[in-house]
Amino acid sequence: MAKPKVAICWLGGCGGCDEAVVDINEVILSVAAAVDLVLWPVALDFKYDSIKAMKDGEIALSIVNGNVRNSEQEEVAKLLREKSQIILAFGACACLGGTPGLANLTTKDDIFNWVYRDAPTVVNPNKSYPKTSSRVNGKELTLPDFYDHVYALNDVIYVDYYLPGCPPPPYSVMYALSAVLENKLPPKGSTLAPQRALCDSCKRNKSKPERMAIREIKRIHEVEAAPDTCFLAQGIICLGPATRDGCGESCININVPCRGCFGPVEGVADSGAKFVSALASILDAQSDADMTRIADQVTDLAGYLYRFSLPTSILKKKRG
Amino acid sequence: MSQYKPKLVCFSCKFGWGYLTDETNLANKIDNWVPIICTGKIDATNIIDAFERGADGILILGCPEGDCHYQDGNFEAKKRVYLLRKLLESIGIEKERIRIELSVDPEGIRIQQLVKEMSEDLAKLGPPKKSITVRKTTKKEAVKAGGRK
Amino acid sequence: MWKTDATGVTHVETAVRQCLPPCQIKCPINEDIQRTNVLISLLPEDPDLAKTGVIQISEYLYGKNPFFNICGYICGICELECNYGKKGGAIKRRLLKRFLSDVYTEHLKEREELEILKNKENVAIVGGGPGGLMCAYDLSKRGYRVTIVEATDRLGGALWLVPDYRLPKDILQTTVENLVRIAGIDVRYKSRLGEGRLTLERLKNEGYKAVFLATGLPYPRVLTFEGQFVEGQDLSGVMYGHTYLYEVSHNNIPSNYFKGKKVIVTGGGNVAFDVARSARRQGGDVTVVALEREDKDHQDGVPADEEEIRGAWEEGVRIVYSRGVRKIVGQNGKFKGIDCPSCVSVFDEQGFNPKFDCTDCIDLAGDVLIITVGQAPDRPLLQKENLLNERGRLDVDHLTLQSAGKPWLFIGGDIRRVGFMVEAMAEGLVAAESIDRYLRGVDMKEGRRRDYEGYSIPVRRDYKPEPEVLWIPPENRMHFQLFEKGLTLKEAIEEAKRCVTCGPCLSCKACVSIGFQKSLSPVEVDIAKCSGCGHCVYTCNYYAARLVNRGDKIVSETDMFKCKSCGMCVVACPSQARKMVDDDTADKIASVYAALS
Repeated sequence: MAKPKVAICWLGGCGGCDEAVVDINEVILSVAAAVDLVLWPVALDFKYDSIKAMKDGEIALSIVNGNVRNSEQEEVAKLLREKSQIILAFGACACLGGTPGLANLTTKDDIFNWVYRDAPTVVNPNKSYPKTSSRVNGKELTLPDFYDHVYALNDVIYVDYYLPGCPPPPYSVMYALSAVLENKLPPKGSTLAPQRALCDSCKRNKSKPERMAIREIKRIHEVEAAPDTCFLAQGIICLGPATRDGCGESCININVPCRGCFGPVEGVADSGAKFVSALASILDAQSDADMTRIADQVTDLAGYLYRFSLPTSILKKKRG
Repeated sequence: MSQYKPKLVCFSCKFGWGYLTDETNLANKIDNWVPIICTGKIDATNIIDAFERGADGILILGCPEGDCHYQDGNFEAKKRVYLLRKLLESIGIEKERIRIELSVDPEGIRIQQLVKEMSEDLAKLGPPKKSITVRKTTKKEAVKAGGRK
Repeated sequence: MWKTDATGVTHVETAVRQCLPPCQIKCPINEDIQRTNVLISLLPEDPDLAKTGVIQISEYLYGKNPFFNICGYICGICELECNYGKKGGAIKRRLLKRFLSDVYTEHLKEREELEILKNKENVAIVGGGPGGLMCAYDLSKRGYRVTIVEATDRLGGALWLVPDYRLPKDILQTTVENLVRIAGIDVRYKSRLGEGRLTLERLKNEGYKAVFLATGLPYPRVLTFEGQFVEGQDLSGVMYGHTYLYEVSHNNIPSNYFKGKKVIVTGGGNVAFDVARSARRQGGDVTVVALEREDKDHQDGVPADEEEIRGAWEEGVRIVYSRGVRKIVGQNGKFKGIDCPSCVSVFDEQGFNPKFDCTDCIDLAGDVLIITVGQAPDRPLLQKENLLNERGRLDVDHLTLQSAGKPWLFIGGDIRRVGFMVEAMAEGLVAAESIDRYLRGVDMKEGRRRDYEGYSIPVRRDYKPEPEVLWIPPENRMHFQLFEKGLTLKEAIEEAKRCVTCGPCLSCKACVSIGFQKSLSPVEVDIAKCSGCGHCVYTCNYYAARLVNRGDKIVSETDMFKCKSCGMCVVACPSQARKMVDDDTADKIASVYAALS
C-alpha cells in the first residue's frame, strides 16, 4: 500500500513552524518512513509544478504554516487546498494571522515608504519600490502582489484543523501526524489543543490571592518577576486567562508571562476584547484619577492584546 | 454633501434611567436603545462588535458613583470604557465615539437629549473611517473555496 | 404605580437552605425588608406621584404585617443586625417604615375589607394585644371565623402603655380598629377570662374548635430584695410603673401631676425609661435607679435602648447605675426615700441573681416612688385553668405553642415569654399555623424549624454615613407629642438607596415585581471551558462565585442563593465559560445591532 502523501508548506511565515517539525528530532526518520513527503520548501527540493500535476485530493495531509499577505501565498494555499484531503493550519500565523498581523495597524503605503525610503538604514537613491511587473533587460519580471491586509489562512481557503502556537510544541506535531495516519480525527474545524485557558494547567494559578486587586501595572523587563507567583497578581500583564492551553507553559516556565500565541479559548471569537473586560475587573482603582493612572501604565494595549491574533479579531485591522 | 445621520447605540441602566416611565414609549423615541439591568453587564466585546456592525458611536448611561444597585457595576463599565478607548484609538476609531455618563434620571427625559447631543458631536466628527479596502475578489474566492464568511 | 404581579406577596421559597439578609433573620417575623428598601429607593421625587407607590409598597407589607406602621415608631430590632452598622451606620429601617406609615395609616381608614370565604372552623383568641391580633389576622385570611375575647374595652394590649411621644395613640387606634374591620374579625369586648362564667372550657363548649391564649402580662411585678418582698409598697406616693402608664394612656393623669415633686423610678428597662420620661413631662424632677451598669456591652449592662437613655439624659432625667433598693422608707404613711446598696453583679451562671454590697449604701429622698421592675401574669387564673405544671410553669411546646394538657389550646406572647411587640406577633403567627395544622389534622412539627443562613455585606469601594435624625431640642420637648422628625420623601429615597441588598434575590425579587426583568436568570458555568483563573471570584461582590475542586481540576461555580444575576462575572470571564440562562439581553443587543447595517 502506498504511503500517504504529506505536504509541509510555508506561506507568510518565519520558518519557526518548520523548525518545530524538525525539532521532533530523530522521530523525523520514522515520519519519513511512514509518509511520502511531497513538498517541504525549507528542507526538500520539490517545485510547485509537481503539486499542480497531482490529482485533486491526492495529498492526504497538507500542513500549512504562515499567513497570507501576497498573491503567491494565496495561490499556493489554494493549490494545496485543491490537491489535499486535509488542510492543517499550523502555527499562530496560519490560525490567527500571527505577529505579522500587527501590520494591520498600518497601511501598505506606510510600510513600503518606511522599508524602501524612510528607514534610517535605507540606501535607495532611486527610490525604487517593488512592482508586480517590471522589464529588465527586455524581459518581464514579475513579483507577487503585496496585499493591503494580512489574512489568516481560513480567510482564503477552507481549513480542516487548526494547531496554534508560535510555534506549536513539537509533540503536537506528532499528535497531528499520528491522528491523521491512524484516522482518529476530531470533527472538522476543531483546534487540536485543549479547550480551556492556560490558567487551567499553570502551576502559578494556585498562588493567586483571594481577591486580585492590581494597583500598579509593570512590564516584564522593568521588574524581577517572582518565579512561582501568578504574573497578574504581581501586576504584570499575562494573557494566560484568555489564551488557549496546550503550549506546555514554555514561556511561564522561563519566567515570562503568556503573550497569547495559542489564541482564544474554544468558543471565543476575540480574545483581546474578552481580556479587556477581564483586565478591567482586576484593576483596583479608588477613583477616576487612580483608574487613569493605572490604565495608562499599559503601553500599546492593542499590540499587547492582539500580538498574534489581529487579523482574526472582530475589528481585524486599523481603519483609515 | 448628504445629511450624515450617525448611528448611535445607547445602553442605559434600568436602575438609574427611565424607570418611572413606560419603556415601550421611550423605545419609540430613541433609536438603537438597549436598556440593561446594569452597565456592568456590558462586555467590551459588545462594544467592539457594535463598531464592527456599523455603529458610529456608543453612549453608555449608568448610575452615579456609589449608587450602583450591584455596588460597582458602573465603575467596572468605566474601567472597560477607558481601556477600550486606548484600544480603539490604535484601530483608528476616535475615542470620542464612546462615551459613558454616570448620573440618575428616573423619568428618562435626558436620554433623548444626551443621544441627540452626542449624535451632533459625531456628525461634526464625520463618519468613521472605513476599514482598509479588502480585495473583493479575495473574499469571493475565499467563500467559493470554502473559506470563512 | 408599578404593574406588579397581583397582590405581590412574595413567598420565601422553602428552599433547601433558608437564606435571608441578616436584618430579616433578626426580625422575628422575617419581614421583607430588602424588598421594601429597593422599592422605596425607586419612588418618584414628586410627593403626589409617589403616593400611589407608597400605598402599593404599604399594601404589600400590610399583607404579612398589619402592624408595620406601628413598627415604624417603636421597633428597630432589624437595625441591630444591619451589616451597614459597622460601616457607617445601620439603615434607618424604622424611619423608613414610619415614612410609609405617614401616608398609609390615613389610607387604612378607607381601605376595603378583604374578600375571604370564611368557611372553616370557629377559633377563639383570648387577648387582643399584638400577639392575639396577629393570630386573628392570619387565621382570618386562611378562612377561619375568628373571635377575639378582649378583657378591656380596647384592642392593642400592652401597646397602649407606650407613651404618646413614642407612639401617638391615634395611630394605634386607627390600626387596630381597621384591622378587625378589614379582616372581618369578631371582637367581644369587656370579656375577661375568669370573670363571670368565662373559662377556656366554656369557650370550647361554645363551639370554638381551638383557642389561642395571649393575655400577656397584665400586672406589675412587686419589688423584692434578695428574694424577699420589700415592705412599704403600699405607702402613699408609691406606685407601679405599669399602673402609671396605664392611667396615663387613659388620660387619667393631669398634665402637671408631678410638678415640684421628686420622682424616683426603679428599673433599667425600656418601660422604666418610658415611665421616667413621662413623669418628667408631667413636671417631675426624675431620677432613675437601675440595678444594671452603664456599659451596655457588658452582660450586666442596662437593658434599655440607647436612644431612650440618651433621650432621658437630654431631658434632664438623672440616672443612677448599679444600685438596688433594700428598703422603702416612709413617714406617717407617706413615702420619704429609699435605701440603695451597691449592686456588684446582676447575672451569673444561674441567670438573674443580683448580688449586693450593703456596706456601700446611699439614701435617696423623694416624694414619689414608681416601681418598674417587670410585669407578671395573672397567676391565679392560670392556676384555675390548670395550665401550670408541678414547677409552676406553663407547659407549652416551644415549637408549636400547643399546650401540653389540652391539644386545642395554644399559648403564646408575653404570657409565655416576655418580649417585644414583634416577638408576640411572631408567636401569633406560629399559633395560627399550629391551629391550622391541628384543625386540618396535619403533622404539627414538620418543616417548622427554620435555621437561617446570614449574609455578609457585599464588597463596595466606599460606604455612606447614616443620616442625622433630628429630635426637638429637649427644652421644647416637655409634652407628649412626637419629638423625632421623620424622613421626607427625598430623604427616604436617599436612605433606602443606602441599603446594599445583602440578602439573596430569592427572598426579594423587587426588580422582577416592578418589571425590570422577567426573571432572575441563574448563572451556569461550562466546566469544559472554565480554567479556574478566578476572575469571576474577584468580580463578584456577593461572594457567589467561588473556586472548587472537581477531581483534579479547579473550576468555578455559582452559589445560586447568593447570586444576584447582575452578569458581571459573565463579562469578566476571559474564557466565556459563564452564561446567564434564560437571559434575553444578548438577543436584544443582537437585534439592535442587526438594524445598524
